[in-house]
Amino acid sequence: MAQTRKQDSLPVARVKEASIKFINNVSKVIVSKRETIELVLAALLCEGHVLIEDVPGIGKTMLAKAVAKSLGCSFKRIQSTPDLLPSDITGIHYYNQKTSDFEFRPGPIVAIIVLVDEINRATPRTQSCLLEGMQERQITVDLETIPLPRPFLVIATQNPVELEGTFPLPEAQLDRFLLRVSLGYPSEDEEATILLRFQQENPLDSLSSVINAGELLELQRLCRQIYVEDSVRDYAVAISRATRSHQAIKLGASPRASLGLHLASQSLAAIRGRNYVIPDDVKYLTKHVLCHRLILKTEARLRRHSIEVILDEIISAVPVPVEDKL
Amino acid sequence: MRISGYQTILYGAVAGIEICWLYVVIDTLNKKVAWGMLSVFGLLLIYPLSFGFSFLLKRRRWYRGVIYSLSWILWLAVMLFSIKSQLYADFRLLDFDWLLALSRAIAEIIYIFRPEILILIVSAVLWWLGQRLASLELDFGTLVSEFQFGLIILVATYLVAKELGVALTHSVYVTMFFFVFSLLGLSISYALEGISWLSGLYRGHWSGPLLISIGLILALGLLISAVVTPDLLQLLLTAIKWLWGFILKGINFLISLLPEPSLPSGGALPSEPMPTPPPEPDWPKLFNMPDSVRNSLRISWSVMAIGFLIFALWRISSDIFSWLRHKLASRADAEFEPLSGAFAADVLNLVKRLVKWLLGLRLRQRARKGFSLPEVHSVRRIYRQLLRWARDAGYPRLPSQTPHEYCHNLVSLLPEANADLELITHQYVGMRYGFSLPTEDELHHLTLSWYRVRQNNLKKKKPR
Repeated sequence: MAQTRKQDSLPVARVKEASIKFINNVSKVIVSKRETIELVLAALLCEGHVLIEDVPGIGKTMLAKAVAKSLGCSFKRIQSTPDLLPSDITGIHYYNQKTSDFEFRPGPIVAIIVLVDEINRATPRTQSCLLEGMQERQITVDLETIPLPRPFLVIATQNPVELEGTFPLPEAQLDRFLLRVSLGYPSEDEEATILLRFQQENPLDSLSSVINAGELLELQRLCRQIYVEDSVRDYAVAISRATRSHQAIKLGASPRASLGLHLASQSLAAIRGRNYVIPDDVKYLTKHVLCHRLILKTEARLRRHSIEVILDEIISAVPVPVEDKL
Repeated sequence: MRISGYQTILYGAVAGIEICWLYVVIDTLNKKVAWGMLSVFGLLLIYPLSFGFSFLLKRRRWYRGVIYSLSWILWLAVMLFSIKSQLYADFRLLDFDWLLALSRAIAEIIYIFRPEILILIVSAVLWWLGQRLASLELDFGTLVSEFQFGLIILVATYLVAKELGVALTHSVYVTMFFFVFSLLGLSISYALEGISWLSGLYRGHWSGPLLISIGLILALGLLISAVVTPDLLQLLLTAIKWLWGFILKGINFLISLLPEPSLPSGGALPSEPMPTPPPEPDWPKLFNMPDSVRNSLRISWSVMAIGFLIFALWRISSDIFSWLRHKLASRADAEFEPLSGAFAADVLNLVKRLVKWLLGLRLRQRARKGFSLPEVHSVRRIYRQLLRWARDAGYPRLPSQTPHEYCHNLVSLLPEANADLELITHQYVGMRYGFSLPTEDELHHLTLSWYRVRQNNLKKKKPR
């Protein structure tokens, strides 16, 4: 063999090793939800925000806290309530009598990991103050623009069932979440394991950090080096574009969604120890990246079609780039 | 609605800026269209009138439509009054002849631009500007926009007036007042936003320093105009010419230090009649020197130039980094941490990344070329054969199936060929999406796997 390509697998090995450590660490608290943890990690590795949506008592907040603790970065929690104000999140300028000047007191958004618990309980006005921070990694308070620390990750939770006293997230807000994940009910054995694990003490208390902020930035940089072949990139774009022309969908995926799909595929490939993205990565992530961004037409909703089923239709209609001439 | 003293000054400054450029524009139009028969100051009175009226109306909590209607009705009255007073002063107010003249002027607008039309347009513009001023939020940004717009209009009008041969009156004073109003408005608005020295200790005593500054600038301007005479300018010009000649000589000398292009050794070109060389200037004779010295000087010069360049780059970058660090340090809650050697580390990091990027680019190009390599061809051929074989057996790959999904399907049909099917798929996926080329051994195993897979009869199998 004249030429054998030596793959530069060392950076990917680093990502894979760190991913295994991270997933194992979070799994000490969250039982048998490795796929969900992997998805959350994929989002973190491309500096994307995560929306954890599920019914109460499933472990949404626990997952968010375990992720934050495993990262060992500055962590702030925002408990969303209807009376929460934008300034409670961004911070305020207060008058310091010692210095006789106005000084800025940063709010909880000025942290590396921000957990916004029950995000849909905050009013739209308060929800909107997260928009600038989530997209541009900066906040503007009293005409002053304050850059947020890097990496900056928002993990939000919401309960999709209970609608009393909640405000549905607007599309602009939803579009800023890279992934929406849900945990689902545990199986019988898993539930028994949960009871056993929490019998003595909360395992979250003894959870240690396995990745620090500097390492996370480095891992994010390595993930951006994952190779995406042109046809795979075209495949991701084709899926996104197909959502815009589907007859049952009122609002299709935005270019930000396509970008998110591309970035998340890179991260997932790195987590799984590959230095290239394959169509399976794109396919696997499509539902998690696109589901929360699409809006069904009224007639489709009345026919009880769900976004998941429509996305399955779209995925099954978009050809995967493989050998076309047999 | 009450306005503070500062706001009053800002309103005055904006009005002053606008009146200055409006004066120049109206004066030009007046001289070109109305042969200078209109009173420019009389027309400009419409502007404060409109502002005052709009400002008063703003205090009333009436519907906006009512306010606008009232305002424009008043404009109509003011416009008619202006025409009457400026053009038909001899006519009685109730004499309708002048109204007929106005209607005739409007009807003939296509053929001739009469002074009545000029008053109509100018009064409308002035009225609108007055209204606009009353509803303007006066801040630094607005003042800057007003200044920029006014300056452009002023300069453009001067140019147009020059081209049209219109002699403008009071242009020096108008320009001076324009800058005085602009400076006044800009400085106060800047101070009010709390971003200047006026916002600190001297906030309460801003007017003194400001007036002194303006006075000093004006005094300096007068002094310069008194001192700078044509003779002095001529002297300066001669000095600059002499200095430039000296610099040119120096540059010529430095150019002579560079190596001259040497002709190739073989095949000399046919000689052409050479033009008579110009007489050499006297100065090179002063610098005659042996070649060895000239070469040494050349090297020293090159080293010095490169050194200067690197030093300048380093100095600029250091200043930028230092400025950034101080900027960060001045932020609330920020910690200032001097990082010794950080700049060198940054530069090294940049070079490393550049080299990595170039290497990566080369690898990609090689990988793309890899598609035509024999091992790529082999892997693709085997996978195509597998697809054809499965299709002929009645299990074609669906267009939306990925290689791994299809492999999973085939494995469910042929569990005994699990390892072989996965190997073929794995090699194909690696090559197709990751330019991962198989080694000689891997290719051998791949061929064997395909050989083993096709021994099975897929048609007889049923999915489990």
